[in-house]
Amino acid sequence: MSKRTLPRLLQTPAVFLLLVWMLVPLGMTLYFSFIRYVLNSLRRPEWTSPSLSNWRGFGNYEFVLKSKDFLLAIQNSLVIVCSILFLTVILGVLIAVLINRAFPGRGIVRVLLISPFFVMPAVNAVLWINMILDPVLGLQGIAVGSINDMVEGLRNAPLVGWFFSLWPELTPISFRATQTSALAVIIMVTWQWTPFAVLIFMTSLQSEDQQQKEAAVLDGAGPWSQFRFLTLPHLGRPIAIVVMIQAIFHLSLYAEIEIVSRGNGNKNLPYLIGEFANNNIGAASATGIFAVILANIVAIFLLRMIGKTLME
Amino acid sequence: MAIVAQSSKLSNVLWPVLAWIVGLLFFFPIFWMVLTSFKTDADAVKPEYLLWFTPTLDNYLNMTENYDYWRFARNSVITSVFATIFTLVVGIPAAYAMAFNPTKRTKDVLMWMLSTKMLPAAAVLYPMTFLTKSLGLFDTHFMIILVLSLINLPIVIWMLFTYFKEIPKDIIEAGKMDGVDTLGEIKEILIPLAWGGIASTALLCFIFCWNEAYWTVRLTTTDAATLSKLIEGNRAPEGLFFGRLSAVSTAAVGPIVVLGWFCQKQLVQGLTFGAVK
Repeated sequence: MSKRTLPRLLQTPAVFLLLVWMLVPLGMTLYFSFIRYVLNSLRRPEWTSPSLSNWRGFGNYEFVLKSKDFLLAIQNSLVIVCSILFLTVILGVLIAVLINRAFPGRGIVRVLLISPFFVMPAVNAVLWINMILDPVLGLQGIAVGSINDMVEGLRNAPLVGWFFSLWPELTPISFRATQTSALAVIIMVTWQWTPFAVLIFMTSLQSEDQQQKEAAVLDGAGPWSQFRFLTLPHLGRPIAIVVMIQAIFHLSLYAEIEIVSRGNGNKNLPYLIGEFANNNIGAASATGIFAVILANIVAIFLLRMIGKTLME
Repeated sequence: MAIVAQSSKLSNVLWPVLAWIVGLLFFFPIFWMVLTSFKTDADAVKPEYLLWFTPTLDNYLNMTENYDYWRFARNSVITSVFATIFTLVVGIPAAYAMAFNPTKRTKDVLMWMLSTKMLPAAAVLYPMTFLTKSLGLFDTHFMIILVLSLINLPIVIWMLFTYFKEIPKDIIEAGKMDGVDTLGEIKEILIPLAWGGIASTALLCFIFCWNEAYWTVRLTTTDAATLSKLIEGNRAPEGLFFGRLSAVSTAAVGPIVVLGWFCQKQLVQGLTFGAVK
């Protein structure tokens, strides 16, 4: 045994564990996606246990592709992920630039800003949908109610009363409804992940070339062109990384969807898989394979970017 | 620099004010949760007690009675602590091997490990449920610890790898001269040297375990149910229990948020896999 064999063998347990973790469940998903497999069927009891004799080929995939929920789930997944990405990147860049300068209490502001990221997703969702967004008892309801009361009072005021009587009465928005439940998820996840974007961008800004900046100032570059031609290009790579990491995380959002409206109006792919898995395992597995493909498209780009910096 | 200084007396005031407003806005929901946790359930939904109310500790004192909080908290602590330990026990030797005895394939192995992290959990929902149930491991601490470890192993190995790579190889090699074997090298030279890195990796791993909300919800019912499961089970109190729900939420996230403050830097490295410096 050469001197280096043992040290190299030390990675075997980790590799083995991850290999089993990846191959066994995924292999089963792949297998189930090609057979008829349901948990309860009085009519066809033979379908209730996995067996090759129930082979269905691409039947499950066709079934999933034809179901109305699938297109809706893909659409919701993309709308939710893209909106969150858009908002977190814009807010992240702005806030990172804002707190990149020294000012009194900067350390405290940093701590305040990063806190949402460490709140567990279940608490995040419960907090927002009840205490903040609830149309009656949440802060939203209370705010809308007091604005209405105020306007109501002003309607009877002399001189300006006519102006306020033109104002419509505001109605609070119910964020558990079909039309708005995706918006609720977007708001709460953006709140949680903007700090992450800020943190990454700030780390990157600290390595920005200050001399280059000073030279630009001497050449008469204003704050906007400094931002546009120096800071933004410098942030290009971190932005790409933030986008990809978040895309991977948010494609598998689950707790927030469940808590806000149990999938009503914001059902995404993971949620649809969960629904199928209550009975139709074949369909759940086929949907799972679609989810893997979707995540892989993002992951390939991300891994390439990371790979470049790996052995430096 | 002179130009920057004179160009903006006004912005010298506006800038910090704006930064503080943004910071406070982002913190506000957490503040609100903590504030509500000191109100009675009845006061919590009355506009007239929005900010001025008689604070009460009842919600915290009754957490056990209302939610059986400590049972869930105990499960969260057990699963997160043991998952962190197990991940480190498997991860440290692996990262050591990759950092100090790399082969041509080390880079590919690392990339592959990361790629396992990118599989959507939901895709293997049924196989995982099926396997845990048929092995008799459903709703057990063991299963949750195993799953949490496997989820976090790639990130932990990655972080440790980047820390270990910064240690000069000569120091490790010097141990060989003194006749220390490989395990001795790890125990007596590597771990003391990389203590800071290992500690912050462990902290981050612990936070991720604590906040995990897919498998801890889907693979448990009561015995191994964690705080995520507890909160998820009380998702819609219909306004009746804002006070007590805020208290239990505050207790569930408070310690972790504070821990998080101490590992911001590691978070950047851990989540971007060293690609942002």
